[in-house]
Amino acid sequence: MAETGGPQTQVRLQLTTRDRKLALPESLGPILVPSSLRRYALSTLVNNLLGTEKPIPLEFLINGSYLRTSVDDYLTAYGFSAETTLAVEYVRALVPPTHVASF
Amino acid sequence: TTEQQPLTSPEEALRLWLHYSSLTHPLSLILAEQLRLILSPTQATRLRGDFRTGKRLNIKRIIPYIVSNYKRDKIWMRRSIPSKRNYQIMLAVDDSKSMTEGGAHALAFETLALLCKSLSMLEVGEVCVVSFGDEEHVRVAHGFGAPFTNESGAKIYQNFSFQQSGTNVRRLIEESIHLFRDARAKGPTTTADLWQLQLIISDGIYEDHDLIRRLVRQTSEEHIMIVFVIVDSNGAKGNSIMDLTQAVFEAVDEEESDGVGGSSGREMQLKMKRYLDGFPFPYYVVVRNVADLPGVLATALKGWFREVVDVQ
Ligand SMILES: [Mg+2]
Repeated sequence: MAETGGPQTQVRLQLTTRDRKLALPESLGPILVPSSLRRYALSTLVNNLLGTEKPIPLEFLINGSYLRTSVDDYLTAYGFSAETTLAVEYVRALVPPTHVASF
Repeated sequence: TTEQQPLTSPEEALRLWLHYSSLTHPLSLILAEQLRLILSPTQATRLRGDFRTGKRLNIKRIIPYIVSNYKRDKIWMRRSIPSKRNYQIMLAVDDSKSMTEGGAHALAFETLALLCKSLSMLEVGEVCVVSFGDEEHVRVAHGFGAPFTNESGAKIYQNFSFQQSGTNVRRLIEESIHLFRDARAKGPTTTADLWQLQLIISDGIYEDHDLIRRLVRQTSEEHIMIVFVIVDSNGAKGNSIMDLTQAVFEAVDEEESDGVGGSSGREMQLKMKRYLDGFPFPYYVVVRNVADLPGVLATALKGWFREVVDVQ
């Protein structure tokens, strides 16, 4: 899907959570992000939107399953295209993952 | 070009065309009238301007000319807007899947029917319709030079399904440049009096903005005017493209960075941007309701004529 040297594919995400303490303003519409993003970058994004002082590690669920790859790989694996707005739910990461920073 | 299979059956395409063209019929009369004022020759043959050579002297410039010791010599007027109906207008409609979100495809079909009918009523020149998404080539649904008949509308609608899984605007512009070059070569006149206009009808979501910006510059060098019509059907539901934000991770120098580490060792910093701030088309209009189109389109085109006349 990602063409080498080509443009960076982007996808619209609608971010939601059931955790009231982590809720974003309801008026916030979809956000356009590079589809190459992984959990860590998405976590940075949501923390940025929440304006948290100390980053809260977050996990992301798409259609009920945890995002363990890039969004792009997820789309490919499940036969979605970047044309559809993706509903993404985020939750507090229970065990802060030991993480090599990756994009 | 190779023959492309229709994306929608002839029966369904006919049904859609009849539906959307009758829905927009009253508006098409209004738009035709507004465009007539802008594009038609009656108003357009006026002489204008300050030029060093021309057809007729501009009397108001004579005294300043003498007073300035013959330095301010732009004393001539020229015909500044084409005197004949020499237009080639391309309607390019986004056939990608994102168009089905929030009903942008319905608004695009209304817009397409409205424009096809108005332009064919006006008889300002040649009209071409293309459909684009992620196919290898854009689809020419109606070619330049082909007459617009009763059957044309339904045939055009066969080239849309709004199921394509990509929105390749870069390819659209690249191939449009060639279509316009061919049309100019085959066109009714060989003079520079030919005016080429492209109207892109899309939800406005696509990537590759920097490259597209360069291509758009090239089109204006080739005297092709592009107006990007963003059909913003989600606007009413609070998800307008005007509020769409874009998350960008940019590489920054390590000393000033407080961002997150990138895999290459360079620091990446998150920036939130307003999507439309990076929009590569200088002329774009946002339309939420097809009824707004005659007004916004007329304004955009008037602005364009003013600018073109001023730089000549
Ligand atoms: Mg699209």
